[in-house]
Amino acid sequence: MSTRWYPVYQRGNPQLRVFLPNFWMKLVRPTEDQPANVVTFAVSTQMTKHDVKNYLEKIYKLPVVDVRTRIALGDTKRDQVHGYITKNDDVKLAYVTMPKNEAFTFPDIFANKAEKQEQDEKSMDESKQGFRKFLDRNKKRPGTPGWYSI
Amino acid sequence: MLTLRRGEQLRARLHALCRRCLSAKTQAKTLANTADDVEYSAEPEYPEIRDLSFKARKQQLAVDWHNEIRAVPTVEEKMIKLNMPRYYGYKVVDLTDNLVPYNALPLTQHYTRTVLEQQPATVEEDAKLDALVKATREDVIEALEYAHDLYKHQLSLLDTQPDAVQRERQLTLIILEQVNRAVLQALSADFAHLQDVEIDYNPRHEAFWAVGGVDPPKNVVKSKQGNEWQKDQAHDSVDRLVQYTGEPYLALRHRHQLPNWRTAEESNNLTLAKQLPRYKFDARTLGYCTKYQHAVNVPGYWPSANAPNFGLLSFQSRAHLQLRPKTYGEEDQLEALHALAIQSSYAWLLAQANYNGFNTYNELTYPLNTQTVITNGREWSFYAYQLNTLLVHGAHVDENPVVNFCRGTAPLPLYGEISEAGKCVDFNEATLRQLLAQYSNVPSIQRSPAELLPYVRDATLRRAADYENGEQREFLERTFKHLASKRPRHLELPEIYMWEKLYKIDNPTRSMEPRRRFFELNINPWRRTLDQHDKEYVPRVVRPGGKKNREGRYKKTYYP
Repeated sequence: MSTRWYPVYQRGNPQLRVFLPNFWMKLVRPTEDQPANVVTFAVSTQMTKHDVKNYLEKIYKLPVVDVRTRIALGDTKRDQVHGYITKNDDVKLAYVTMPKNEAFTFPDIFANKAEKQEQDEKSMDESKQGFRKFLDRNKKRPGTPGWYSI
Repeated sequence: MLTLRRGEQLRARLHALCRRCLSAKTQAKTLANTADDVEYSAEPEYPEIRDLSFKARKQQLAVDWHNEIRAVPTVEEKMIKLNMPRYYGYKVVDLTDNLVPYNALPLTQHYTRTVLEQQPATVEEDAKLDALVKATREDVIEALEYAHDLYKHQLSLLDTQPDAVQRERQLTLIILEQVNRAVLQALSADFAHLQDVEIDYNPRHEAFWAVGGVDPPKNVVKSKQGNEWQKDQAHDSVDRLVQYTGEPYLALRHRHQLPNWRTAEESNNLTLAKQLPRYKFDARTLGYCTKYQHAVNVPGYWPSANAPNFGLLSFQSRAHLQLRPKTYGEEDQLEALHALAIQSSYAWLLAQANYNGFNTYNELTYPLNTQTVITNGREWSFYAYQLNTLLVHGAHVDENPVVNFCRGTAPLPLYGEISEAGKCVDFNEATLRQLLAQYSNVPSIQRSPAELLPYVRDATLRRAADYENGEQREFLERTFKHLASKRPRHLELPEIYMWEKLYKIDNPTRSMEPRRRFFELNINPWRRTLDQHDKEYVPRVVRPGGKKNREGRYKKTYYP
């Protein structure tokens, strides 16, 4: 991503050459159910349908049949302390259609999240248990350091 | 002579009166007894136990409404009745004849309950048809050459050239007018039905229907999940309303119906119905749009008693297919043509069915047939469609065993090209054969009015024009045409301003302000019904019953 804003072309200006355009694409999980061959991206608002298509075809070598875009209104939020309203930026959503025999499923990034959490909890329980044991053992001699007993 | 005292006289009278009264009562009782005996039977007959669950009650309400529509006497009133629930129109999926998105065939087959079959590109050998091809060949070639020449001349007169889509539309219309004229001229001597056809140029074909089996939108799911007793029904499929709008180049209509090419037994096939593709996602995921509009059904003309009511042939445009990106591929191009043919044929037949008193909620009682040609002047695809059922809404999408049929060919070239000198090169007789076969298909089915219009009252009352009351006639006519005109309502839909959405709806920051706007008073303007408007004022001068009559201050309304 360049640090410069992608300048809007005005008639009469010199031919634009941008080597690092301010373009980004983010794969997002669709909010509504859609066919398996449609993928949703959040993209920078300046990108056109052709930009999205070229981005996916040239860089990622994806078969793109059609691109439809819309601009989604950013969420508003009320400040909890002062009560003023803030608004997130609008974002362009691109619905990219691939050939009908292709299928895309959104990756389950947190597939083993529950498993990992269980492991964490288990080790936490074990250490809690150990500390409780230590306290029990030293009930009658408070203030003794941990290394004192065998 | 015995004379009674005054008191005894009275007592005797009272006695006589009571006796008379008692005897009358006992007589009535004996009569009633016989009636009671009839009421009792050896086997108790209980009325049917009705399912009182929320879902069943909702379904029953819907069925009651469909029966109400069926009971409405005239064709126009049925269509007004269909629109009664919404003042600002229904939210409909907008199907048009100038947009076919990628992979639209499964949705089209689901929404129209149509089985698609491939038709062989060659017509059966027929000596009569061969002779006709030979006879019309030269005329058609001449018509093609003339059309190209004419259009070339028309273009040369213009300063700015129209775009490619517009050029194709204009040229195809000229070609079709010329070819249609040439074919009718050549064939009408042998085929008497061609002398009675009505030709519509650029007619208006519109149809409205309801489709079931679509996944519910997110807000419906969320609202149901919020209710404990509705949680398990949150993902039940919902109905979508569909409005097709099209404008073919030409449409030919006739008084009689085309013969069916599928029998009732073949059409009634639950396994076939189960195999139909189902597009359960929102139609917007394909690229279709939604809009708000009234339910409109127009087969190219207004309801009239003696009009040729049945479609023979329609010529659809494929000019917009040029706008589809090349990435869609050849296979999808063919599927798009099939989808276009199915949608346009279904919509035209549905609109015709509407003029015979049927609609998307009241099932067809006899099949309807039509033929459709999609052409750009050079490439021609030929389709035949048989409409057997209209029920696609609600549970019918799963349970209705009847399906519709469409069979069609791939696009066939009528000629190779028009040379520099304006001569037609590589004329294809096989395509002309197909075209002549469709023209020579004789509409032979004639039905009695009672069979044709089972849900319309009777011979004395079929259309709004049959009402005796002039005021009622005028009211129905005006309302019906206004609905079909798609003009915006007199009272515009109230607007929610952006600042109101930010500071009143999404973030309630102005709690001290009086609540006066509709969204603060919990009023949904979309729920307004068609008859919720001020009645028309009758000026005193023309008021029936004199100037002082306060009864007739407002004009009566005759909503069904």
